[in-house]
Amino acid sequence: MSHQTRDRLLLAIAIILAGIYLFPLYWMYITTIKSGSEMFATPPTFWPTDPQWQIFGNVWQSRNMGRYVWNSLVIACGAVSVITVLGVGCAYVLARYRNIWVDIGLFLILMLQVLPASLMVTPIFVGFSQIGLLNYPRLAVILAIAAKSMPFFVVLVRATFMSVPQELEEAALVDGNSRVGAFFNIVLPLARNGILVSAILIFMQAFGEFVYSKSMIQAVELQPASVGLNSFMGPNTNEWNNIMAYAAIYVTPILAIFVLLQRRIVSGLTSGALK
Amino acid sequence: MKRFLSSIIDGRGFDIGLVSLPLAFLLTLSGLPLLYNIVMSFQEVDMFSLGSFWRPFVGFKNYRDLFAQPETWPILANTATFVVASIVGQFLVGFGLALFFWTNFPGASWLRGLFLVSWVMPGLVVGAIWNWILSGDFGVLNFILRETGLIDGNIFWRSDPGFSLWAVIIANIWLGTSFNMILLSVGLSAIPRDLYEASELDGANVWQRFWTITLPMMRSSIGAIIALGLIFTLQQFDLFAAITSGGPNNASNVTQYWAWDLSFRQYDFAKGATISVIMIVFVMIASVVYVRSTRHEVRG
Repeated sequence: MSHQTRDRLLLAIAIILAGIYLFPLYWMYITTIKSGSEMFATPPTFWPTDPQWQIFGNVWQSRNMGRYVWNSLVIACGAVSVITVLGVGCAYVLARYRNIWVDIGLFLILMLQVLPASLMVTPIFVGFSQIGLLNYPRLAVILAIAAKSMPFFVVLVRATFMSVPQELEEAALVDGNSRVGAFFNIVLPLARNGILVSAILIFMQAFGEFVYSKSMIQAVELQPASVGLNSFMGPNTNEWNNIMAYAAIYVTPILAIFVLLQRRIVSGLTSGALK
Repeated sequence: MKRFLSSIIDGRGFDIGLVSLPLAFLLTLSGLPLLYNIVMSFQEVDMFSLGSFWRPFVGFKNYRDLFAQPETWPILANTATFVVASIVGQFLVGFGLALFFWTNFPGASWLRGLFLVSWVMPGLVVGAIWNWILSGDFGVLNFILRETGLIDGNIFWRSDPGFSLWAVIIANIWLGTSFNMILLSVGLSAIPRDLYEASELDGANVWQRFWTITLPMMRSSIGAIIALGLIFTLQQFDLFAAITSGGPNNASNVTQYWAWDLSFRQYDFAKGATISVIMIVFVMIASVVYVRSTRHEVRG
């Protein structure tokens, strides 16, 4: 078997495997454009005979998706801002030094990273309601997400800072820069890409966050798209084409960002989570 | 004052400022709730005392009540099944895929990265898609299983107590496989190629090479990945909310969903806190294993 045929054969198998794995996504999109009767046909059709393109507009209108997606955006942007502002400096210091205090800090951060949101939401909810923070439910959710996701961000960004040569910063200091100047003019620009990719990962997580929003936001007009999707799916629902349309509208921007930045996201993720 | 300011701009104060602010934030919003959780698990909390800090302490009453409830042990058993089955499934499928993509052909790394979409999607969306795929009468999975002759009649994945937990497990395996695969790929690519060349010269076959080189070299990555898998599986909540809601009759309920259900559906915050405390202890143990297995990396 020549080298080329082997490569082609492996590529073909890989595409088939990816196809099987990504079948649920395909099924979501294909169900969306099926008509009500075609959706429940036996045997199911794997290619729609009569695609219903207007469903996207209908669902967007009838489920008031503009509001839901806006709330998701507000929450995700808020959480990413808090995490980036606080997390970058923390990651920088943890990458720059190596002593017992840094080890303790890292250990604390890794331990806080693993607390499940659905278990932490009880004390956070009670505490927030006592200090009156639940009157600003989106802010409450932003803070809770920030606390949950910041450790992951710090671990990822720390790996980026480790790859910035320390000599560059020292050279800047010798040239008369202050620590602040060296940090903002030399170190941050060099680590920019890694920070950006980590921020995008955090954004994707926050954009799909569910537990905190479901528990802390009672007012429908402040709920994000994940909670909207949950209330759309009643126990005996049969509007699957509408639900899948909702899911498709919700998830397509995330998938688009992911496919565009795939290489960077994967390498950023692997460098931080496990070397 | 001047010295203090200049230290912030130009000295140790800069570092301490950068690291103490986020740590303070984390300790306030994660550390304090953690302690508060433990306190609440020893208190009597109801809708009336929710607003005050000084609630009556009741000792271990919440814990005793919890274990006196008939559903507690089945739910704990469900959690164990869910965790073990999910981790085994994710790991085996992920490892298989990682080994396949390791053969290195053009396009391998791009296609491999594509698998990660399952991991970046919102959990609720994944749950919604699987809810539809697993639907009893019209679900496509039942159709495929029927056509291939694996089953005769439809399986009612979401409403049959014997299958509802497995419905969530299937979705969770799909969700987590890609992450396992990516991390295992990283571990595989770190194995020096000359080890394989040497053993090939010595006449070892594929199977022997796998057992004597690949597996032993992967030991620390595998440990880390299984610990991470445990941590992620115990965090899985969205799929339960989207597929079964813990039903029917707690058949697919697990502790991390139950804790939320007790607090926010039945307003029994004390019990919710109690079960949270128990589970957080488990998670902490898993994360110590994880930190230990990546320690060489953490210390650089």
